[in-house]
Amino acid sequence: MMLMEEKFDYSTEATKRVAVPADTYQQLSQFLYHEARLLDTRQWDAWLKLWTPDGMYWIPRSRDQQSPYDALSLCWDDDVLRRVRMRILDSPRRWSQQPRSYASRLIGNVTVDGTDSDGCLLVRSVIHMTEWRRETMFHRAGSCVHKLVADGDSWKIKLKRVDLIDCDGAYEAIELYM
Amino acid sequence: MPYSKEQIGALVRPDSVNKSIYTDPELFKLEMQRIYGRIWVYVGHDSQVPNVGDYHATMIGDQDVVMVRADDGKVHVLYNRCPHKGAMVVPEGNGCAGKFFRCPYHGWTFRLNGHHLAAPMKLGLEGTRFDPASPEFSMRELARVDSYRGFVFASQAADGIPLPEFLGGARSSLDNFCDRAPEGEVVASKNVFRVIQRANWKVFYENLNDTMHARVTHESAIQAARDEVKAEGLEQMPLRLHIMENNGQPYEFWEKLKLVAFDHGHSYMEGIFDPGSIKKDPISHAHYQTLIDAYGEKRALEILSENRHNTIIYGSGSPHTVFQQFRIIRPLSVDRTLIEIQVFRLKGAPEEVYRRALMYCNVINSPASAVMPDDLEVYFRCQMGNRTRGGEWVSQHRYAGTDKPIDGGLVAINGTSELPMRNQFNAWKQYMLAAA
Repeated sequence: MMLMEEKFDYSTEATKRVAVPADTYQQLSQFLYHEARLLDTRQWDAWLKLWTPDGMYWIPRSRDQQSPYDALSLCWDDDVLRRVRMRILDSPRRWSQQPRSYASRLIGNVTVDGTDSDGCLLVRSVIHMTEWRRETMFHRAGSCVHKLVADGDSWKIKLKRVDLIDCDGAYEAIELYM
Repeated sequence: MPYSKEQIGALVRPDSVNKSIYTDPELFKLEMQRIYGRIWVYVGHDSQVPNVGDYHATMIGDQDVVMVRADDGKVHVLYNRCPHKGAMVVPEGNGCAGKFFRCPYHGWTFRLNGHHLAAPMKLGLEGTRFDPASPEFSMRELARVDSYRGFVFASQAADGIPLPEFLGGARSSLDNFCDRAPEGEVVASKNVFRVIQRANWKVFYENLNDTMHARVTHESAIQAARDEVKAEGLEQMPLRLHIMENNGQPYEFWEKLKLVAFDHGHSYMEGIFDPGSIKKDPISHAHYQTLIDAYGEKRALEILSENRHNTIIYGSGSPHTVFQQFRIIRPLSVDRTLIEIQVFRLKGAPEEVYRRALMYCNVINSPASAVMPDDLEVYFRCQMGNRTRGGEWVSQHRYAGTDKPIDGGLVAINGTSELPMRNQFNAWKQYMLAAA
């Protein structure tokens, strides 16, 4: 009996290595920087459009977490929850964003791992997000995997997995996507 | 300056408490002795230490302790201290000690029940007052350890009421929690959320049965869920939105909820999600079927009809029976608290029931959730506001003086009553005075 079908492929292991030309690599890097910039500048609508409709945003809670269905995740957000988060961040009644957060995301070490069994491109990077809110600086650092689907001359995000170095730590509120 | 009995007594009035209860570090120190140093406190679930040697390091009040499965198959709770130089024997978290504990400093070893096993180079200890049979040279066990349906509690006081009596009416919530499993047992998930709140621990307890805050504190999430349904033209609100939107029920809804308070500061509030969902919702229905197979239809219905939202076990935290979680509340200092959130599998229930509980926890309790950050913010504002000279008292007047006695506790005449808070501080006062 399967009531919640596990159709979504949340694996991030490349099954096939691919060699991407230099200009494609350049475009992929630009894609990740662009994504970070949209979040830094709170262009939520443009950021939401980077996703496939079934795309999932995942921040595991454990190191090497195998599945979002077996244990807790800090985020396991589908399109609905992504849009809701953006609505909440813009709400004048979001008390925990008074004062609001300011963040800067630094992306680096971009590497192309290959493709998965569906032909999606797996791009790995590291992220360092610094967030400022009410006299406190928060640092979020870790590695990212973007699972990308070709879309015209660009891509759409099918899965973004962020493995924080302190994923099993104790947190105050995490309000912003990384 | 030490507090006299009179001074402590004067901090709690029948309908309000003095703000220093949340802000004075001296009172926090006394709480660590007189409350957390004495009462039964939840340590962890026995499924966290399934095999001999497995341990879980945690805290009871200001004390580092380790819960361990010993060779006798029983769960023991020891202070995390080597009797030689005082080093913590286990660094943190979960692991397996193997056949015995070994201190990383000088290699003293202890049986899993804490008893002294060996110290290297015994010769140098001969002719001294060192005595391996003396408790002074063993890892000390907490005075009392007991469990209720797999939930392990410990007390640092040798005397006092037994655990079942302490839990009193709150036992019914732990019973229902486990009865919801067709096999009558629950198993803790592999990981937990840990959330830091920059506020006194008591604020979290008060909030758990505070039905007046939901529609105000969580307005942004309520509105976002409603806007999303409208914007996307959804015919039905999906469960992941419903659980945040439901906080926006009108006051009349909250007024009708049952609030039951028990001795020792415990209480529970009636469930806020539709108990009739066993007919409509496929996951609830599948769960119901497994319960019918296990207990028969009458009992299965009885179990699922016991619809409760947050239960409070004062000093330990809050089990949630319907979404299978235990929120452990661990005070760190007068203005800092750690909330640890465990989710449980119901043995024998469909896996989807567990997945639904994970989803609930992700959406409501994650530090990255739609709901939890606003709670943290208002707790912080209480902590800051109560540091000002803007007033001395914190109000708990709602429906004060109208509570009706029941066996072992009180019941509110209105679901928005602040009875649970008054009940907590009544217990707080008793604890703080009894040990003075």
